[in-house]
Amino acid sequence: MTTAERTRERRLTTARAMVEGIAQEMRRNEEVFVMGEDVGAYGGIFGTTTGLLDEFGPERVMDTPISETGFIGAGIGAAIEGMRPIVELMFVDFFGVCMDQIYNHMAKIHYESGGNVRVPMVLMTSVGGGYSDGAQHSQCLWATFAHLPGMKIVVPSNPRDAKGLMISAIRDDNPVVYMTHKGIMGLAWMAKNARSVGPVPEEEYEVPIGKASVAREGTDATVVTLSLSVHHALDVAERLSGEGIELEVLDLRSLVPLDREAILESVGKTGRVLVVDEDYRSFGLSGEIAATIVEEDPAMLKAPLARVAVPDVPIPYARPLERAVLPTPERIEEAARGLVGA
Amino acid sequence: MIEVRFPLLNESEPDAEGVLATWFVGDGEEVGEGQLLCEVQVEKTSEDVHAEGAGTIRLAVSEGEVVRQGEVIARIE
Repeated sequence: MTTAERTRERRLTTARAMVEGIAQEMRRNEEVFVMGEDVGAYGGIFGTTTGLLDEFGPERVMDTPISETGFIGAGIGAAIEGMRPIVELMFVDFFGVCMDQIYNHMAKIHYESGGNVRVPMVLMTSVGGGYSDGAQHSQCLWATFAHLPGMKIVVPSNPRDAKGLMISAIRDDNPVVYMTHKGIMGLAWMAKNARSVGPVPEEEYEVPIGKASVAREGTDATVVTLSLSVHHALDVAERLSGEGIELEVLDLRSLVPLDREAILESVGKTGRVLVVDEDYRSFGLSGEIAATIVEEDPAMLKAPLARVAVPDVPIPYARPLERAVLPTPERIEEAARGLVGA
Repeated sequence: MIEVRFPLLNESEPDAEGVLATWFVGDGEEVGEGQLLCEVQVEKTSEDVHAEGAGTIRLAVSEGEVVRQGEVIARIE
């Protein structure tokens, strides 16, 4: 990297990258607006909307009452009428109270109208644990949403993708659920992952929805993962590389549509696969990836598929127990070693 | 040489301490004038610090460290 290139490189936290993507779209298109709890003066409890109120004012950055069904429904109505709302569900864990609006309306109106009515909106929500917030504030639940047709699902892992996926989501004419892990936001009050601050181009750009990214190339095994676990997997891959084991890390970035081609291409190359998923183990993403592979060609695999996921237990509050259930670098490393027989 | 100091966020208590919340540049990197360097926090108030000139930045304080207002947090050479 030359001096000039280093000078031009600009780093942001994931939270700031998201805000920049939203702000650029709000400047470009007056139909884009933001609503949710504490999105205005507070700037979002995970920094998702910081500074937007100052630039765009309260008519486009709207604080709402704690009434998720009401304001998500209002967002749906606005989208139907031609606006492009970004509605924040503060914690994904609160989805139960408003799931009728999300699943029976946001996700189905386009289909039920014979394609005549579009619902271009972003449902933005924070996911994940690791900071002792308890069983009702620490879930990912992306597989729950991915299971239900009618919504696209994107899950960024880093600042650059966070901005590009946000812009793609806003521009998409379908409802997009944008799920961001608190552990990658780069917030001052949380233990920061080193890669939660990274280079972000200043111009507008889209990260295509439905396209995975090879975060690291390798030859011995493929780690299929997303969100915060991408960084854990990269840390493990760097450690094992010192022992001659080369892991490929595939960052899914989108769950709907799922980039099955990228999964099959990577697993076809390495012959071994470890799925790392910070969601509950059963009835979820890792099973879907396993099915994708064996439905194509079970002989592709040199070893049985391995997975590291949250066991089927609510996320504990106590720090040692929480750490025991979440995918940690230690658990990932152990599983990867098992796969390659090292 | 430019000294980058922790800004005065709490004016009524000039000796108040804050935290270097986030570095957006690494030690030894080239920075441009006006470039975002870091975010600092005193109590619940946070502020961004930008470079007053161009050059090579040397960090004097690590991310997460407690710093008194006015103290040098970096130098640009």
